[in-house]
Amino acid sequence: MSLWQLLTSAFVLHAFYAITAVALAAGAVGYFVVLRRQAFAAHAIGHIGFAGAAGAILIGWSPLIGLLVFCVVAGVLVGVAGASLDDRDTVVGVTLTGALGLGVLFLSLYSGYANATYSILFGQVLGVSTSDIRTVALVSGLVLVSVVVVFRPLLFSSVDSQSAASRGISNQLMSVLFMTLLALTTVVAVQVVGVLLVFSLLVAPAAAAEALTSHPLRAVALSVGLALVSGWMGLFLAVWLGGPVSFWITALASLAYVMARLSDLLKAQRLRRARV
Amino acid sequence: MSVLELHNVGISRGDRPIWNGATFTIEPGSVTAVLGPNGSGKSTLLHAISGLLPIAEGELLVFGAKPHRGNSQVGYVAQTRVADATSTLTGRDYVGLGMDGVHYGWGRTKGKRAAVAEALRQVGATGFADRPMHSLSGGQRQRIALAHATVFKPTLLLLDEPLAALDIAAQAEIVDLINLLRVEQDMAIIVVAHDLNPLSGIVDQVVWIARRQVKSGSIDEVVNESVLSDLYGHPIEILVTPTGRRVIVGLEEEFAHPHPHGHDHSGEEGHQHFAELYEEGRQ
Repeated sequence: MSLWQLLTSAFVLHAFYAITAVALAAGAVGYFVVLRRQAFAAHAIGHIGFAGAAGAILIGWSPLIGLLVFCVVAGVLVGVAGASLDDRDTVVGVTLTGALGLGVLFLSLYSGYANATYSILFGQVLGVSTSDIRTVALVSGLVLVSVVVVFRPLLFSSVDSQSAASRGISNQLMSVLFMTLLALTTVVAVQVVGVLLVFSLLVAPAAAAEALTSHPLRAVALSVGLALVSGWMGLFLAVWLGGPVSFWITALASLAYVMARLSDLLKAQRLRRARV
Repeated sequence: MSVLELHNVGISRGDRPIWNGATFTIEPGSVTAVLGPNGSGKSTLLHAISGLLPIAEGELLVFGAKPHRGNSQVGYVAQTRVADATSTLTGRDYVGLGMDGVHYGWGRTKGKRAAVAEALRQVGATGFADRPMHSLSGGQRQRIALAHATVFKPTLLLLDEPLAALDIAAQAEIVDLINLLRVEQDMAIIVVAHDLNPLSGIVDQVVWIARRQVKSGSIDEVVNESVLSDLYGHPIEILVTPTGRRVIVGLEEEFAHPHPHGHDHSGEEGHQHFAELYEEGRQ
């Protein structure tokens, strides 16, 4: 089969659609993850979702449902607790470990073939079904619309919670909303890159964008753009050269982050030299 | 109509009284300095005016009505804006949030660009408005914060320790700016401070909170030996330097801390974050 035939085959096209939808949502939500310094929560939510997925597999349900339930419940809980707690990371960490423990238990109880578990951990985007794509597109669309609607109050609350509170914004509500959006985004991102590599789409592009521009709208656009390019290029390289799609996406997103930080560093150095 | 009227107001947090017996009014275009030891409840007064903390007794009227959150006539600059020091946002974007950050949806806010530019010009921040805030000096950040809190044209401005962590020159610039806002926009301004001297040239009224009591009046009425000695329950001496600065003698640490138990020395009085208070007030 030629490369072109491979690229236009049904399973690659499915993957392309899924990656596109996920990158749009992850790039946008990722901006707020970085702005709110909640990368650890983003990391943890995926792992908590893993326990849900393993549980769902055990009782013969679609892992997607288990992921969805566990991620959203965990997101809301962290959102409620995290708005006021100083030791937010500890709360998240303890919840994370508890959930992972459950995941291990579910896995050990499950005697079937563990392929489904593997795909949750590392992503299996080349295997997504039409119905999976529909779910991914629906959830991503919902996330994007929500981000547009709450953009300004969420930005306000993320940047200066005290001033936002004095102007009538509920930081608690914003925290819960944000964590819910993060949970939904994690669920769809897991379909592409898996629980362990969810950072590659959710945090790396946004962190790169934040290093490159100060303007919020430009940063969101850049973050979405970098997520899309990493996703598409990763798919292309995997089809062309072989290797897991999630590996390529992760490698490209990390590379983008490193380059952005380097360019930021060089810019700062130039400025310093100019001042001297 | 007065901007603010307090009749015998008392405030508690839980069942612990913070202070009571506050009776004073604030008129448009006046500057009021709120002074007193750490932990005496100066910020608490601002929280009550913003509607973030219910009062325990008496009557508090803000523009003739009960205080409520999100009052578009009240601008507020908190003491510690943690975000500022790390924020990659530009000053201009941050001021823009003061204008329409509370709005949901995507619609453009009419006249936002011009209002933001005008607020930045007023505080002399145009020159550095497009730099990320983490790269600004303390004084520059304070100017941006003032623009953020005034861009929606409030008529009452609450400033919590705006001079803290600034050097003398920057302090003088911010004091001039506060006076300018009062004169040009007829704003009533309440400034929480730990030192009266930098502000003494522009202050119309002093509110002094100590040992759960509140004394108010002109500088001469409040900052004198008999009133302060009475307030602290301890002899206080006031030395006036040839340039008119007042040095207050006798405010040792033990008297500066009416609630020694559980008080942390982080410099943040009231022990609670503004944002948390807000949530408590909602319940």
